[in-house]
Amino acid sequence: MLAVGKNGTAAGKRYVIRTMGFMSGYVAINVLAIFGAFDDIGSPVAAWGLALAVSAPVVGQIWATLSFMNESDEFVRALIAKQFIIASGLAMAIASVWGFGESYAAAPHIPAWLIYPLFWACFGAVAPFIRTSR
Amino acid sequence: MRNRLKLLRVERGWTQEQLGQALGVSRQAVNALETEKHDPSLDLAYRIAVLFARPVEDIFENPHA
Repeated sequence: MLAVGKNGTAAGKRYVIRTMGFMSGYVAINVLAIFGAFDDIGSPVAAWGLALAVSAPVVGQIWATLSFMNESDEFVRALIAKQFIIASGLAMAIASVWGFGESYAAAPHIPAWLIYPLFWACFGAVAPFIRTSR
Repeated sequence: MRNRLKLLRVERGWTQEQLGQALGVSRQAVNALETEKHDPSLDLAYRIAVLFARPVEDIFENPHA
């Protein structure tokens, strides 16, 4: 995830700082949840508030990635966009296969939020093979 | 796209970093142009042509000619 922005440009540095900021928030909220800070939440509104609070850094990190593409030169933008699109397609394909596996083949349930780490795993897997903008 | 960018850059004694700064792009972009991993936009091709004071087709080979 952080390797994307390590190209020595100002846009890359901003991306790394933004990503570290959002991921720090993500880790902090999850550590609090693991240690039971939110165990007493009873109302659905508060529970959704917690869900949105945990999701917010993920949304922020997606924004950081898209901003990095927007702020980069045409080659970096095209390269990252290509890697992003192929990784998204791969992650959606894997998620779809698993989802139908749950529906029809009694595959164990996996939370939907895992699509995000799955996307970055796919990104890391495809990026070394996508080195041209064409 | 085949081009003479590396030759022109080396003639002037510039590094990829220096050429990138002059063009407002990253070193990676210059490297990608030189190694034919990126076809420049018309805007970037004209910026390169102005920088080297040459017509675009002196620097980039027209693949359709």
